[in-house]
Amino acid sequence: MYGWVGQILRVNLTNGTIKKEALDMVEAKNYLGARGLGTRFWIKECDLKMDPFSEANNMIFMTGPLTGTMATNAARYNVVCKAPLTGAMAASNSGGYWGPELKYAGYDGIIIEGKSEKPVYLCINDGEVELRCAEHLWGKDVNETTDTLREETDIDAKVACIGPAGENLVKFACIMNDYTRAAGRSGVGAVMGSKKLKAIVVKGSGAVKVADPDAFLTALTKARKMVKDHPVTGQGLPAYGTQILINILDQSGGLPVNNFRDSGTFPNADATSGETLAKTYLVRNKGCMGCGIGCGRIVNVPDGPFKSFGEGPEYEAGWSFGADCGIDDLAAIIKANNYCNELGMDPITLGSTIACAFELYDIGALKEGDVGRVLRWGDAEAMVELTRMTAFREGFGDDLAEGSYRFGSKYGHPELSMTCKKQEMAAYDPRSLQGMGLSYATNNRGGCHVRGYMTAPEILGLPEKLDNLVTDGKAQWTKIFQDLTASVDAAGICLFLTFAIGAPELSEQLMAATGVEYTVEEVMKVGERIWNMERLFNLTNGFTKDDDSLPPRLLKEPVKVGPCKGSVNKLDVMLPEYYEARGWDAEGRPTPEKLQELGLQ
Amino acid sequence: MAKVLMLDPEKCISCRTCELACSFKHDKEFRPSAARVNVVQFEREGISVPLMCLQCDTAACEMVCPTGALKRNDVTGALELDDEKCIRCKMCIQACPFGNIAYDSAKNRILRCDLCGGDPQCAKFCPGGAITYVEASTGTLTKKRAYAAKFKEALQEVTK
Amino acid sequence: MKVKFFALLRDITGVKETTDFTGTILVELLEKLSIHYGKDLTRWLFAPTDPAQEKQLGGDVIILVNGRAIEHLAGLATPLKEEDEVAIFPRLAGG
Repeated sequence: MYGWVGQILRVNLTNGTIKKEALDMVEAKNYLGARGLGTRFWIKECDLKMDPFSEANNMIFMTGPLTGTMATNAARYNVVCKAPLTGAMAASNSGGYWGPELKYAGYDGIIIEGKSEKPVYLCINDGEVELRCAEHLWGKDVNETTDTLREETDIDAKVACIGPAGENLVKFACIMNDYTRAAGRSGVGAVMGSKKLKAIVVKGSGAVKVADPDAFLTALTKARKMVKDHPVTGQGLPAYGTQILINILDQSGGLPVNNFRDSGTFPNADATSGETLAKTYLVRNKGCMGCGIGCGRIVNVPDGPFKSFGEGPEYEAGWSFGADCGIDDLAAIIKANNYCNELGMDPITLGSTIACAFELYDIGALKEGDVGRVLRWGDAEAMVELTRMTAFREGFGDDLAEGSYRFGSKYGHPELSMTCKKQEMAAYDPRSLQGMGLSYATNNRGGCHVRGYMTAPEILGLPEKLDNLVTDGKAQWTKIFQDLTASVDAAGICLFLTFAIGAPELSEQLMAATGVEYTVEEVMKVGERIWNMERLFNLTNGFTKDDDSLPPRLLKEPVKVGPCKGSVNKLDVMLPEYYEARGWDAEGRPTPEKLQELGLQ
Repeated sequence: MAKVLMLDPEKCISCRTCELACSFKHDKEFRPSAARVNVVQFEREGISVPLMCLQCDTAACEMVCPTGALKRNDVTGALELDDEKCIRCKMCIQACPFGNIAYDSAKNRILRCDLCGGDPQCAKFCPGGAITYVEASTGTLTKKRAYAAKFKEALQEVTK
Repeated sequence: MKVKFFALLRDITGVKETTDFTGTILVELLEKLSIHYGKDLTRWLFAPTDPAQEKQLGGDVIILVNGRAIEHLAGLATPLKEEDEVAIFPRLAGG
């Protein structure tokens, strides 16, 4: 077996059974792995219309065929289940060391079924697998849990676990692995909490083999050189991390400010920038397994009210706790981000939900009595405290733990939730980036930036510069980005590589690793197949064309200031073009011909 | 002059590419547990240290080996293990004060760095410059310079 | 006019912004910056060409005039006014 290791672990928490099964190679070839194969397995085995917290919601941890090899940045795995935040398919992607370790232990993935009555953790040491009591870990944060489990098992074991937020069914709880890496979005941590599964500990001593070692070495050497030589992956990301983006989005007028109400520019954006971080709290860079970039930031705020040590923030968290809340205090942003890591929450959804609360308070829809304190834009201390309270559903944190859509609805203003399919968008205003708006609206998992990163061509000029304010051609570009991203995710490599390498390099590495004829065309076809499969899941679950939408504010209220002043998102122009580019009907349904072409009937 | 491996943990980004490259070079597979180099991670402190045999001049492993299985490569300076002569007594593992020799039970063999015959893959693929393979004299000088630069920074800070 | 530098370019220029330079079109301004800050900045601003040939924009630089990328204006020939703001970035990304 090459690329894949050929075995799946099936664990039933209801009756405590553990089985080892051969990997279905027909499916593996069609869907690669991780997001693609995990979703395929889920759909084959589960009732699509279930409640996400029901016993029947299988949770699938899946790596890709490149995971754990020396292909460029091949550290990824995905967690697939039905998402409590959106009701759509969740496939949350994480790096670190846990995914590779699972393959070294001899498994491409784990299918978790059922629910345990009492807290348990799954312990994997190569072929030895057992469920163990986790009652002593329940309530502990991610750092304590990981430390304790490594002391109990093996000091070098890799741990994926939930924090208090997952236990408390916070709708956007993460699964954290290797302390600070997150399967972050859509609430996969809450599903793990509902199953009373605190952690999965893995120690592996085996190998991942490749079909043609010489060709693989040639392919990975070429790809790694391209990553090293590219100014983004070779210089910008190592020097400044992802928070490098804040200034260019601000200068281009694409930075959402104050819950997207005052978007355009943020007066003190530079105070929260990657440049400032590098000069202040940055200790060292960090990479995932086999990474040639090292965008991770180890940070230390040595003193003051926001004293903390940890990792991050990434750009999206830097924005959600920063400009989106009107906050320009980098130490506070770091503190809130560290809380998210330690307690296991998605900072994009949380920051955006707090921003929504600030706005509701501003317009009088939320009162001091509801919150237990006064709220106002830019209040860093309140933002940090609300972050902590949310993980424990303490006081007003119980409202925030539902995410901005349910929270906004409770207080009469669902339209002030900056979400698509109930999931919060990231740090790019769709009025200033037309294509990014289309990407959010059509994203199968709702508001999210990593399924078709149109910011790359629209702002960053990668692979070429498109005008961010026009709609022409954006439908085609969005489709191609979405399909390529699906293949990248399914292969088990990091999306950031696509700034430097493309489908040809992915194809070369995949072919040499697996021995399967993954030509460039086939790579794109696998991506399109995955995208359409996810779409079918959503349509079966009652999602329609009406859900391919953006918050009304982005379609009606023009940007007030900056270079994109006066602009709204023209989704009505782009959406029919997108459906056509996809080979879907006018209602956004894949046609029978398209499904046949993709082998999805 | 023979080259030496230089380690600079401060530049280590904890990516463990060295482990992947090492196991791939020796076994044509990706198996970090069989790598001759290891990145020791202290996650809570945000520190990681790449470690491997640095080829001691007077080597305890060589002295303790009862069969003379460890032999110096005159070109690279590496102590290379003759697998035919090795009786797997594992005394070299006990003798090494740094823990830089390991036993691979799955393949019944001793694991120690052989400098890849003069082209160490760990240094070749290290993205951050934490592992380099340099002329001995230059290597020493570089390290001195790096520390001197810290003094320079500190002094500049004071004089600002 | 105000010229702002970001990311690695700040290390080269040693400043975040300057108002010391002007030009009626962008290339004039960039040439002045190039002369003042030297070859480390020049290699970002301009593609390597024969000195006799017309200047070409570097492949790894992003330049905004009043927040608009110059690809959508007139490139190096983009006209400048005294009140304009020019922002210069090395090619970067994240997300």
